[in-house]
Amino acid sequence: MTSVISISGLVKSFGTARALDGLDLDVAAGEVHGFLGPNGSGKSTTIRVLLGLLRADAGSVRLFDGDPWRDAVGLHRRLAYVPGDVTLWPGMSGGEAIDLLGRLQGGLDPARRAELLERFELDPRKKARTYSKGNRQKVALVAALASDAELFVLDEPTSGLDPLKEAAFQEEVRALRAQGRTVLLSSHILAEAENLCDRVSIIRRGRTVQSGSLTELRHLTRTAMTVETARPVPGLAELPGVHGLRSDAGRMRFDVDTDALDAVVGCLAGAGVRSLTSTPPTLEELFLRHYGDAEAEGAGPAAGAGGVPAPAARS
Amino acid sequence: MSGGPSVAGTGTLIRAALRRDRWRLPLWIAGGAALVATQSVSSQALYDSPQDLAAYEASVGSNAASIALAGPPVGLDTVAGAVAFEISSFVILVAALMAMFTTGRHTRGDEEAGRTELLRATRVGRHAPLLAAVAVSALACAAMVPAVAAAGVGTGLPAGGSFLLGASVGAGALVFTGITAVVAQVTASARAVYGMVGGALGIAFVLRAVGDVEGSWVSWTSPIGWAQATHPWSDDRWSPILLCLLVTVGLLAAAGALLDRRDLGSGLLAARPGRASAPPSLASSLGLAVRLHRGALLGWAVALGLLGLVYGGLAGSVETLFADNPEARAFLPDSGSLVDAYLATTLSINALLAGAYAVSAVLRARAEESVGRAEPVLATATSRAAWLAGHGVVALAGASLVLLVAGAAIGAVRAVDTGDGGEFSRLLSASTAYLPAVWVLAGAAVALFGLLPRSASALAWGAVAYVAVVTMFAASLDWPGWVDDASPLAWTPLAPVEEWSAGALAGLTALAGLLLAAGVTGFRRRDLVPG
Repeated sequence: MTSVISISGLVKSFGTARALDGLDLDVAAGEVHGFLGPNGSGKSTTIRVLLGLLRADAGSVRLFDGDPWRDAVGLHRRLAYVPGDVTLWPGMSGGEAIDLLGRLQGGLDPARRAELLERFELDPRKKARTYSKGNRQKVALVAALASDAELFVLDEPTSGLDPLKEAAFQEEVRALRAQGRTVLLSSHILAEAENLCDRVSIIRRGRTVQSGSLTELRHLTRTAMTVETARPVPGLAELPGVHGLRSDAGRMRFDVDTDALDAVVGCLAGAGVRSLTSTPPTLEELFLRHYGDAEAEGAGPAAGAGGVPAPAARS
Repeated sequence: MSGGPSVAGTGTLIRAALRRDRWRLPLWIAGGAALVATQSVSSQALYDSPQDLAAYEASVGSNAASIALAGPPVGLDTVAGAVAFEISSFVILVAALMAMFTTGRHTRGDEEAGRTELLRATRVGRHAPLLAAVAVSALACAAMVPAVAAAGVGTGLPAGGSFLLGASVGAGALVFTGITAVVAQVTASARAVYGMVGGALGIAFVLRAVGDVEGSWVSWTSPIGWAQATHPWSDDRWSPILLCLLVTVGLLAAAGALLDRRDLGSGLLAARPGRASAPPSLASSLGLAVRLHRGALLGWAVALGLLGLVYGGLAGSVETLFADNPEARAFLPDSGSLVDAYLATTLSINALLAGAYAVSAVLRARAEESVGRAEPVLATATSRAAWLAGHGVVALAGASLVLLVAGAAIGAVRAVDTGDGGEFSRLLSASTAYLPAVWVLAGAAVALFGLLPRSASALAWGAVAYVAVVTMFAASLDWPGWVDDASPLAWTPLAPVEEWSAGALAGLTALAGLLLAAGVTGFRRRDLVPG
């Protein structure tokens, strides 16, 4: 499979602050690639380098078959971009901004534009000054999705959308994949990436710490479970992959490694399950567990700190 | 808080605003005081004998251009009175701009950026942000009083008049605090606030110019006229200051009442729905630039057109004043060339204003970059050069248009007044001599944008201020030659008095081209810089 984006050893500093410190990223044609990391880890900086808005200090960056700094204009004809923080011209209506950005990118499909406006329930006649954050985001999304780009670079595109529009957005991304287009989707929410992405790259402090398919990353994640059973469940605590079991009046709370879920459910089956809730792992927990990350330290004490050593970056 | 819940939190907001403005306000105030000190030193050096002062009084008393720029020709029999005449209008302008930007930034500017919403959700009353903004601006106006007084006394002028001049400057600026507070309630955009208050300031300046040249009541329609009616070091009147204070109180009451009648974030002028799709013209970086600049450009063109009509109309007064003032004949050439000297002065002022427009238009590109609106455009198939060229073309063409509109207006009025249709084309073509100097200012702003984006705004406005000060004061101050030579207007032939000089104009045009090229190259090689 050919690479649409290929970054290795990317370094970018602002003054004395090193925003990117040897970052690697590889996105294959036709895949939806999740680009994950906590706030301030360097996602937007990487994207700006990729768009030729910032110049790399070191490392190699290839976009399609070109250099994004030197061949910016030619490469931009083939991609559509949604910024993380959309700022529009206050006196211009949303419809005008969509048309402007679409035309500058190389033209947009009027039928698609109308369909997307309806889908995202955006009034194109309102002045941008009166739009909420979510509506500004929709303007950029409609302009991007109505274009005929090969690559979609989406920087936290759902951060202002309500759940219904978020679902609409996810369907649009699936449709793009079905058409064979490539999507780079940055996010700090693991669940969003799990829903959409074929592969993900996880970055932290300007470095790639994990890259691969979600199945490959499953061993890194744990599901938090709360179970109420009719009878005690002997041996649960001893099962491999169960961590931090606490029992309280017939109610048990514990964390399970994703690859041990099947064994745990099997073990519970005979005990008369009355209620069961499971919470999917979050990126924050993953960081906390594997990297003892400063950004996540406020989230609480490290649960079950043992186990998996920090894996080496793979790209 | 003792003032009731609607002003709760005002004290905290005032401290926060003073902290945000801790560099800006001292610079404005020091700038105003420096103007007075410079003028005082130079006037005392120039008119150190009674003969020199008499000659000055005779010539200025007959010079409509000086009166139109400066103020009422009173108290010219003393050096201190001459200082008040020469500098008061500029110091009042500086202080009024300070009041406008300070009040606007902390009212509509904060509201548009969403900061007011954040604050109002805390224990901050509805009137507190407006009251705090007005208080900070009023403090700055009040600080002008001792600063200007100290500049006068420190350079050896009598204390009473120095203090009165300071009080006049502060009181005049205070009125513009009130005007800005009202306008900030009416329109929802901070840019529009500065545009409308700037327009009001321009109208106030023109009204007092007309009144002062004609010696009529028209000066009393202008807040700048009130501030100058104190006549420091001659009549020493304090009553106009009381008038300024009363009007300010009325304006602030009106602003408070308007604030009660509108929602947070909205103006009194309702936002109309826009177009559902973009017109065909909005399809390129140039189309975008035209769209972004057209409102401001129209405003500048109308304002300079009106100014041109006023300047043209006052040209006739030059001859009248000359005839009324027989002593002036001893010092000045015949009245025909006197009118041309006046017209040359007005054309160079037009060039300064057109240069200011060009700089403001180029800096719009920097504003687009710093708030993040350049990013989505440059992520499309739009090159850096094309994006910058859009703003640059509008700045250059717009500034040229503004300059020629003003020149055409002067020419049209002169053609009607003199009955000689050739005056129109003569003054329009004289105006073209000032185009290259305007382009150099635009080029300097583009170069600064490309090479030093973070300080581009301060440095480019600094360049405009430099050219303005050199143009106004070079003749009266004993500066080394290079200070004058660094201004592009120094190399511009003073048409229609001096001959059109192809060599100098080609040189200035080439310099403008080099600066533009440097700016584009710099921008293509640097990162996008937010904030």
